[in-house]
Amino acid sequence: MSRMLSLRIAWRFLRSAPVQSLLIISGIAVGIAVQIFVGSLITSLQGSLVDQTIGSAPQVTFQALTDGDPVRYSPKMQDVIANDPRVKRGSVSPVRFATSLYTNGTDSASLSLIGGELRELDGIYNVSKRVTDGTASLRATDILVGKDFAAKFKLTPGDSIALTLQGGSRATFTVAGIFDLGSAAFNERQAFVNGDVPRSLLGWSADQYSAVQVQLVKPFESAQVATDWRRKVPGVEVVEWQAQNADLLVALQSQGSSSYIIQTFVLVAIALGIASTLAIAAVQKTRQIGILKAMGLSDGRAGRIFLWQAIILGGVGSTAGVALAYFLLFGFSFSGASFSIQPKLSFVLLSAGVGIGVALASSIFPTRRTSKLDPIEVIQNG
Amino acid sequence: MAEKLLVADSLDKVYGTGEGATHALRGVSFELNEGEFAAIVGQSGSGKSTLLNMVGLLDTPTAGEVRFRGRNAEALPRPELARMRNELIGFVFQFHYLLPEFSVFENVAMPAFIGGTLAPGEIQARAEEALALLGLEGLEGKNANQLSGGQKQRVAIARALMNRPALLLADEPTGNLDTVNTDLVYDLFRKISAETGTAFMIVTHDRGVAQRTDRILEVTDGRLVQDIRNDYARAT
Ligand SMILES: Nc1ncnc2c1ncn2[C@@H]1O[C@H](COP(=O)(O)OP(=O)(O)O)[C@@H](O)[C@H]1O
Ligand SMILES: [Mg+2]
Repeated sequence: MSRMLSLRIAWRFLRSAPVQSLLIISGIAVGIAVQIFVGSLITSLQGSLVDQTIGSAPQVTFQALTDGDPVRYSPKMQDVIANDPRVKRGSVSPVRFATSLYTNGTDSASLSLIGGELRELDGIYNVSKRVTDGTASLRATDILVGKDFAAKFKLTPGDSIALTLQGGSRATFTVAGIFDLGSAAFNERQAFVNGDVPRSLLGWSADQYSAVQVQLVKPFESAQVATDWRRKVPGVEVVEWQAQNADLLVALQSQGSSSYIIQTFVLVAIALGIASTLAIAAVQKTRQIGILKAMGLSDGRAGRIFLWQAIILGGVGSTAGVALAYFLLFGFSFSGASFSIQPKLSFVLLSAGVGIGVALASSIFPTRRTSKLDPIEVIQNG
Repeated sequence: MAEKLLVADSLDKVYGTGEGATHALRGVSFELNEGEFAAIVGQSGSGKSTLLNMVGLLDTPTAGEVRFRGRNAEALPRPELARMRNELIGFVFQFHYLLPEFSVFENVAMPAFIGGTLAPGEIQARAEEALALLGLEGLEGKNANQLSGGQKQRVAIARALMNRPALLLADEPTGNLDTVNTDLVYDLFRKISAETGTAFMIVTHDRGVAQRTDRILEVTDGRLVQDIRNDYARAT
């Protein structure tokens, strides 16, 4: 018992007040668990929102300076895209747009056509994987329509549909497959066709496109990438998703800062809890500390008793908090939410570390009080 | 030729300042040899506890100095004073001051735990010896709270003996005990003193007890008014 005497005394003191110790450990555990849960929830929610918004959409796009004009997919442009490591491999898709109108006799709806190579479209929209019915194929007269459009007009794979294309010509397509890209608006109004369909309609040459769409490894680098490309490829317009989704970004940001506020308050609550518990413990044990000091316990070792208490409470509380957080996250996975929470190990460890750090910080007062206590005060006052 | 254990030189102690100040000690001087068995007597409030706390390196005089084995206490840093209290001095107070969170064995062994120099086996042996000396065998594992008043005070004495101190200070150690227990405790003190060469300073109201020591220091109003050698021990 001579070795680590301060720790052993700390442990004994904690055990002598088990209810008090358990309460504060529970307090820390709940606090840390909330901290981890809320932090992970917000991060995952944001990731999921961003993914929903731009995961299946172009993030940086080349287009003509004037709306409706073609942009030339020049060797220079191909070069710039191919040599930029920020571009996600295989996620470059030159596309041509055309508008059309579908009528089935009673109802009609406009349908925007996106023309391109299936393999390239997959790089942006991941169409093949999202075809839920029929086959993902874009041969000359194939069309892939969204599930909401198909439901509205009771279309199934193999059906023929006639469209009035922009400019007034009519063309007949075969519904090859029905896709679900996760957005009802997209599923209802957009369709994929072979790239030659809009090309012949618009009378463009093989290297002329409505847009060249690109996805990035890190979507939040889009503004920088766009700036670089504007400089490298003059004479075309480069647009990026962040500029077009300012509202979403503001929402994400304020969600992020409200999460920080919650986490800060949780930490403050933990700190106050530990600080008050330790302060009370230090006062309760004044008599014992005085006796120990009269017997020769040094100021430093006496002070360390409460430092150890903080480490024990903070350590056990934080560990229990991490366990509780994983339990909550496990429970959440059955909640039926549209996204799953992936707690980052680094964040979990950081939270636990912060818990212990806060515990240590809140032990400063009792530690100093204990270390300063003069044994004569206790001996004289009985 | 007896070695000098401690010297109290012109000790003054004033509590508080101005109007409300209490002059608890006025120019108290005496010397105590190694192994000496002394009593401090005097009326309540005369300054006995104040004197004992100063000799025990727990309190500091307002003027004058305490020299313990030649070292001036005032010149020593707090950690060194703590170390000397641990190694050289054993305290028994009027109230037992046991630690309720620890077992009887742990309470007795605590001074050795604090000292940190003895091997666990040695600590065990010494604690058992001290407990046996005080007739506390079999109570090692008990909690301090489970003991009677007399047992508690005996545990406190065993604890004070644990580090085989050069000086054992006892402030009215039998104040809460009946006559039978009081006699037992004093017989024990004498026995320990004879066996180990530990010096004793015992504060007591009890003239009968004081008569059985080698030396009686009498304090009145903060002054040492009498310092007499007693033949009792030598006579028996
Ligand atoms: N901490 C203190 N503050 C003020 N006065 C004190 C304090 N301790 C003791 N005294 C006073 O000093 C005098 C001596 O006290 P004390 O040494 O306890 O006497 P004794 O032990 O002989 O009864 C008393 O008048 C007491 O009231
Ligand atoms: Mg007294």
